[in-house]
Amino acid sequence: MPTNSASAKKDVQIDPRGYRIGAGITATIAIVGLILGSGTAGTIVFAVLTAMFIPGATVGPQATLQSFLFKRLIRPRIGAPRETESFRPPRFAQLIGLICAVLATVFGLAGVTVGFYIFAAFLLGASFLNSVFGFCLGCEMYLLLVRMRAPRAA
Amino acid sequence: MVERVIAVLALLAAASAFAVWWQRREGRVTRVADPPGAVSSAHLGSPRGFRATFVQFSTSTCAKCPPTAVVLSRVAASEKGVAHVEIDAEARLDLVREFEILRTPTTLILNHEGIVVARISGAPSDAHAREALEAAPPPSTDYSI
Repeated sequence: MPTNSASAKKDVQIDPRGYRIGAGITATIAIVGLILGSGTAGTIVFAVLTAMFIPGATVGPQATLQSFLFKRLIRPRIGAPRETESFRPPRFAQLIGLICAVLATVFGLAGVTVGFYIFAAFLLGASFLNSVFGFCLGCEMYLLLVRMRAPRAA
Repeated sequence: MVERVIAVLALLAAASAFAVWWQRREGRVTRVADPPGAVSSAHLGSPRGFRATFVQFSTSTCAKCPPTAVVLSRVAASEKGVAHVEIDAEARLDLVREFEILRTPTTLILNHEGIVVARISGAPSDAHAREALEAAPPPSTDYSI
């Protein structure tokens, strides 16, 4: 029986292990930032994370610093992946991460402690789920966001 | 400092509990007790199977959609008269709303009449896909003519 494929468009395939290790690096940095707190030190950590998310959210996860480290240091030791994945879902997840990092930084600079902790915690939760469980929070939210954005009368 | 360390540990524990709960539900098959009307091939935009059809809703940002398509087309190919149709959810928001699709991948199982008899939430295993097909047995061939 023929299969009509919507997800087989031309794209970049990435190594999912690299992406999960990258999310682990992100989560570790977020833990450091959260423990430092909403003062100057913690805000600087989230500003650094913001800068690290920009290439991932615009080009894709293959362009991040984490991906570079994985390719240089880890990939040569563990060999080729058994399967690859599209770069699109993690790129969307990187965009969600970027938004959280920007908001945490802005709230940190403005001295809004609650705002800083909410978005810093969301960022940590999402990157932790991604690295340890392979659970993509952004992917699960995506269709709901599309449904909310599009007008009902279609 | 100590409070923040405890708060971080609590957050990670809560996230882990959530992930375990979520993974146990992944691929779960639900029988549809009170189905809406039949779905035609024209409405679907693809021909239905003679016995059953897997209607898989996917998006481009869904990491588990391509492996789900592999599982469903493999199971469809191994059974007589079963088709697999993959729908781009963003292009077919009408179907998404009609069938209350909240996440991808979600798969509807249509029987030989095009009636939704079961649905799979999340990425199924082969066993999940076969379990869902049990809701759509082959149509009776007891013709009375």
